[in-house]
Amino acid sequence: MFRTTLRAASPIASRAISRPLVAKSAFIGASKFVAPIRFYTAAPVDKKEITSRVIDVIKAFDKTAASSEVTGQTYFHKDLGLDSLDTVELLVAIEEEFDIEIPDKVADDLKSVGETVDYIASNPEAN
Amino acid sequence: MAKRLSGLQKEVIHLYRGCIRVAHTKPRPNQPHFVSYIREEFGKYKGLPKKDFTAIEHLLRVGHKRKDLYSQPELKDIH
Repeated sequence: MFRTTLRAASPIASRAISRPLVAKSAFIGASKFVAPIRFYTAAPVDKKEITSRVIDVIKAFDKTAASSEVTGQTYFHKDLGLDSLDTVELLVAIEEEFDIEIPDKVADDLKSVGETVDYIASNPEAN
Repeated sequence: MAKRLSGLQKEVIHLYRGCIRVAHTKPRPNQPHFVSYIREEFGKYKGLPKKDFTAIEHLLRVGHKRKDLYSQPELKDIH
């Protein structure tokens, strides 16, 4: 009878022992592949450069009506003759240029070149 | 865009933004095809009265479904 209880207990005991072992080996395996890397951010881009890059994107955009004069005060809808959907396209093109993703809530409120530049300047991930 | 947009209008814009983002994940030479297709599909219903909620909601659902379908990476070109 003693033997049967021992036998019944043994799988539990062995499992209890083996589990931490497995976990430990998995941990060692993971640490072997994931070497600690330090990431550095690039120096923040200055506003003048952002403005000129944004203007370049706008000029490359195929739907802009008055592409002659684009400044910080230019409004997408009023001055460039873009409708709401064109504005969305333009903003996605600008996102691509700076390698960021503007959240929907912010993007809904961006109506001018200046606002867009301000947002990009405040975004630490922009480059 | 001087006037405030309604919730439904915003939803349409968000869908449009999502679609354009999907288009930008496709191979570069084919991206204009996707963009012009998206413009075409949204343009079909430009004349829809903005009070026609049921129709717009239906089209939004269809649009979301189609966006999910087209965002598969195996799909590389469209015409």
